[in-house]
Amino acid sequence: MVTVVQLATQVGSLTLRNPVLAASGTFGYGLELVDFCPPEALGGVVTKGLSPRPRAGNPTPRIVETPAGMINSIGLQNIGVEAFCTQVLPALRQRGATVVVNVFGETEEEYATVVERLEREDGVAAYELNVSCPNVGKGGMEFGHDPSSLDLLVRMLRRLTRRPLWVKLSPNAPHLLAVAEAALAAGADALTLVNTFRALAIDAKKRRPAVATGFGGLSGPAIKPLALRLVWEVHRAFPQAPLVGIGGVLTGEDAVEFLLAGACAVQVGTATFRNPAACLEVVQQLQAFCQREGVEDVRELIGGLRWR
Amino acid sequence: MERRSDQPVILASRQELSPSCFALELLCPGPLTATPGQFIMLGPTAGADPLLRRPFSVAGVGESPRGVLVQLLVKEVGKFTSLLRRLPIGSELSLLGPLGQGFRLLEAPPRPVLVAGGIGLPPVLFAARELSQRGIPFDLFYGAASSHELLLPQEVKRATNGLAVFCTDDGSFGEQGLVTEVLRRLWQKSYSRILACGPTPMLYAVAQLARERQVEAELSLEEPMACGVGVCLGCVVRLHDGSYVPSCQAGPVFLASQLAERW
Repeated sequence: MVTVVQLATQVGSLTLRNPVLAASGTFGYGLELVDFCPPEALGGVVTKGLSPRPRAGNPTPRIVETPAGMINSIGLQNIGVEAFCTQVLPALRQRGATVVVNVFGETEEEYATVVERLEREDGVAAYELNVSCPNVGKGGMEFGHDPSSLDLLVRMLRRLTRRPLWVKLSPNAPHLLAVAEAALAAGADALTLVNTFRALAIDAKKRRPAVATGFGGLSGPAIKPLALRLVWEVHRAFPQAPLVGIGGVLTGEDAVEFLLAGACAVQVGTATFRNPAACLEVVQQLQAFCQREGVEDVRELIGGLRWR
Repeated sequence: MERRSDQPVILASRQELSPSCFALELLCPGPLTATPGQFIMLGPTAGADPLLRRPFSVAGVGESPRGVLVQLLVKEVGKFTSLLRRLPIGSELSLLGPLGQGFRLLEAPPRPVLVAGGIGLPPVLFAARELSQRGIPFDLFYGAASSHELLLPQEVKRATNGLAVFCTDDGSFGEQGLVTEVLRRLWQKSYSRILACGPTPMLYAVAQLARERQVEAELSLEEPMACGVGVCLGCVVRLHDGSYVPSCQAGPVFLASQLAERW
């Protein structure tokens, strides 16, 4: 039994007060759930993906629950980077939240526009590039599936900022290790693994897909073992690369599993939909796990999986 | 600021209402106030099946010596509603809410007319109870496929001083025909606003009637919902300006005039 657990962790050069971040697209822009889960109590919040201009998003229905998970096809509905900078960021800054801005564009130039706008603001801890959204026609997954496109994108953004660049990768990429290698070689500071799995739910009575766009992205506990496998594979291939694990974390013990697989921090996504205080509870459960198991510093867990 | 959170509630009673529908009362130890048209998110306290809570419109809120009683009317349509139908009385559930924008009862000019179809009754019954209590005159039309599918007819009568108009598609009880057809037939010039909840085709017909009679309609919409608190953007509804807004916050009750053209 340990009484004091050091929860702080590092993702590359960035220090987080604990390893639990709210995942993009599940926590609004950071302030929506303050009554349930103050963003400053978390390791960080990753904003809803921001594009240069507001996006209306996809037609409905957009979501459906599936066994131990859900499929979504929101289509990156967002208020645009300008509204975020003027209406949201000042309050997040004042609260002392660690803000990771998720960046989306349909073209390289659009990613650059978002980053350049945010470079004029204080209070952004890092950028997370969404190159893995399965639910939009242009951009997103195109970059996340092709190492050479990703290389160009990350190199271009690397020149625009000294802030940490995280690249959120797609589990749908045919060669994830090649994509990961390209991102790291081009100057990414960390990799977020993984975005949702492209999936299909069918309404048998209507003989139609359950979400309007046909395919959507699968998240939730159903994908946890798949995500753990990918985190571990990337960790083994690139042991020095800071990884942020995501996929079906509901509890503190789930978070521990991602740390053991090699992640320095984890993101909690779908769990927030079932319980808006989920991120905070994961922090508390992670702390309790460490106390019970005699872990004095949460960083001891990172990559600690005993494979054989 | 006070931290908001979900609260554990006890399944206090269950009453079978029809082949597919039942009423529940949930006992909330903590304080809870709701307005007609608001909803709660309800889920199991533990386990990941189902993973997400489900939204339920509140049919009424009452006091009891042990706490607040929340009344729900539920139709068995899937995994969780089937679980709710079998769950032993006294079981614990987790409730988040009340949430959302309900009917604008105090803004509504006299005399509102309330319309419910099938399992769309809860917010309309709640609104009727509230209007009665405030002494605001109103009429209520309640339709279902057949007499077996009319839920809580006695409660509806009580909330309307016996003046509710019942309609069934097959004529087995009350007026025969769709509730919106009956409303059109019995329309009174004094009706100033329509408050409605029911199947989507019924709501389309209500919106059309409101346009014809040049009154506003407040429609309680049902959308698949993951979080209930505005972050998943799964439950969005399209407004006439093309934007999508989460029905858990901007709704579930919308003015028909706000909604996209198809309404």
